[in-house]
Amino acid sequence: MAKHQAMTQEWLDAWKEKIAGSKEYKEIAKGWEGSVSIIVNPDPDKGIPEPLYLFTDYWHGDVKDFLICDKAKAESAKFIMSGDYARWKQVARKEIDSTKALMQGKLKLKGDLTYIVRNIKSVNKVIDLLCEIETVWPDEA
Amino acid sequence: MAKGYAGRYLRVDLTEGRFSHFTVEESLLRKFIGGSALGAKLYLDGYSLDADPLAPETPLMVMTGPLVGSGFPGSSRFAVCAKSPLTGIWGESACGGTFGPELKKAGYDGIVITGRSASPVCLSIVDGEARLSDASGLWGKDVYETTNLLREADKGAKALVIGPAGENLVRFAAIGNDKAHYVGRTGLGAVMGAKNLKAICVRGSGKLEKADEARFREIHREAVREIKESALAGSLHAMGSDANMDIGMINGDVPIRNWTIGEDFELSSALSGPTLSETYLTRTHACANCPVACKRVVRVPDGPHRTEEGPGPEYETCATFGTMIMNRDLAGVIKANELCNRYGMDTISCGAAIAWAMELYEKGLLTPQTTDGLDLTWGNMEAVLALLPRIARREGFGGLLAEGTLAAARKIGSEAVDAVVHVKGLDLPMHDPRGFHGMGLAYMMSNRGACHLQHAVLATEQGMASWPQLFPMKDDYQGTTSEGKAELVFHSENYGILGNSLSICHYLTDCLRPETIRDAFNAVTGFNFSFEELMRCGMRDWTLKRGINNLLGVTAKDDALPKRILTPLKEGAGAGSVPDVERLKREYYAIRGLDERGFPKEEKLRELGLDDLRERLYRK
Repeated sequence: MAKHQAMTQEWLDAWKEKIAGSKEYKEIAKGWEGSVSIIVNPDPDKGIPEPLYLFTDYWHGDVKDFLICDKAKAESAKFIMSGDYARWKQVARKEIDSTKALMQGKLKLKGDLTYIVRNIKSVNKVIDLLCEIETVWPDEA
Repeated sequence: MAKGYAGRYLRVDLTEGRFSHFTVEESLLRKFIGGSALGAKLYLDGYSLDADPLAPETPLMVMTGPLVGSGFPGSSRFAVCAKSPLTGIWGESACGGTFGPELKKAGYDGIVITGRSASPVCLSIVDGEARLSDASGLWGKDVYETTNLLREADKGAKALVIGPAGENLVRFAAIGNDKAHYVGRTGLGAVMGAKNLKAICVRGSGKLEKADEARFREIHREAVREIKESALAGSLHAMGSDANMDIGMINGDVPIRNWTIGEDFELSSALSGPTLSETYLTRTHACANCPVACKRVVRVPDGPHRTEEGPGPEYETCATFGTMIMNRDLAGVIKANELCNRYGMDTISCGAAIAWAMELYEKGLLTPQTTDGLDLTWGNMEAVLALLPRIARREGFGGLLAEGTLAAARKIGSEAVDAVVHVKGLDLPMHDPRGFHGMGLAYMMSNRGACHLQHAVLATEQGMASWPQLFPMKDDYQGTTSEGKAELVFHSENYGILGNSLSICHYLTDCLRPETIRDAFNAVTGFNFSFEELMRCGMRDWTLKRGINNLLGVTAKDDALPKRILTPLKEGAGAGSVPDVERLKREYYAIRGLDERGFPKEEKLRELGLDDLRERLYRK
């Protein structure tokens, strides 16, 4: 399986493809509508000199735009999740559950938490699919 | 006098109608801090452990800690302690609301009540003056009615009140504060009822003196900032404790059908925090000094389970009167919660008893003849709602359940006993150890029987909080393994139990950094404790209560999980997994310093400065 450079457009494309191909996701995400942006705080020592802005969009089991974007676009999302590079890497490697990372303050969320909890199965599935991507991390390349 | 304390305790002898005061030396406060830890020390030193929990000589203690009355977030708590009429061992239950801070303002850190009044009375304390008044007119009235009447008589007073269940000595009777907050577990409402004490009202105008007011204000601001940033606090505000229903169902935490099914997403969706918010929630409500406001206020506007606006159910109640009995109707849960509140009954033990009865009914061990005609088919809320007043009044079959699930089961037979899910006689809270093995160990070792609030294991094992500055911790624990859990439980107990002696809410403990709590404690008391000293207090607290339980007959064989929890589930996140009880116990005993009998070793008691307890445990 091809490896993808983390937090790049090709990585987002691979993630989008995974989600689009998941029958299970399509079923459990019927109730979800709206975009989620991921903000990666800069960490020059880990090869992240500037903040990274990733935009992902979901609609009733389908996937829409998955883009590297600018700050304004990221901040337009229904949900904004932000955190340090190391934390996102832990989440994408299944070393920490994303809900636990949120509760422990290792990731921050802006948006309606009730909606997230109501749709927690689809959120978990999206993360599970991210974890399946063979990823090359900037600090390990 | 140590700062942060009112400086005196009230002793009440209800038989003689006499009051006296006593003080506690600072050296003792530095060891036990306050709350239930100090209550346990007073109990051990001053009272007969042999007395029946409902006997006049058994003390009922209402205890606060040093942060209570300081205005620190979550510091509204108080603990009620006594020998439990449900379990026969150490009993305690902490509660939020308004009573604790008001007691401090009225000039007392705690109240120790013994004796039995010849007729129902109300104890009133106003700015240091205590008196007893006739409560015959309140006897028989429910918690809501009584609270309303007491408020009419003295608008500013904060009251602790029992309902008919406490009066009738139901062994899981609760004590209500302001209708919305309950001293729920271990049946302490029955101890109050046995003393013919219907209510305790307090009102005060005193101000708590702190060691360093300026530093405290600074820490208070920091605490509020941390709470604003906390996703857990946000979740609790938005959905209450019932936010756990959706997430817990995924993680294998939620018990279903008296602990026999591992997963049912339709059930959790119908009963979840978001559903409650979208349907019956009218507003949120906060304990004194709490910016989180996790309490729900609800109203069912119409239908068979119509209610007025009032206190809503917690997660535990949504599980006991929901998933545990296969009821998908949230309005029914709200109604059951209201009835338990009004009659004054612990919703966990009461709901667990009904779930157990429904299982027996299905198996034919209970029939319509034995249930007084009630059809206890799974999910039949009409029968449940009809049964609740019968339990509170000890009528017919209700009287059997009023004895508690284990005692009721013993009257029926071994198959009935196998269906009781308890540790040391206390029904399990609604968190399944098959999904979280550490919780299983915490249930086994908790000093009041199966408990989710005598420690912080729920927060640490499920990843809601992480305190690597206190003890070695992983970011993420796998629930379905027993590996590493003994150490996690040991540390989580030592820290979590402190919440009960400082008298601060567990949720706030989970939202705040330990440094902030330590600094607030030091600014209030001036004790300048390090983390190590605080954790040592937690260790001492646990060991003291364990020793009391040993004196009451608890041994290693009682540190066990029920048969049902050692039976694997077929579905859900906990499927096929059960805690490795022997491994957990072996590793935990070694860390905790317990011998093979389950007694604290002599050197451990010496190390913790519990020489009086050592004398009594090892007296030849």
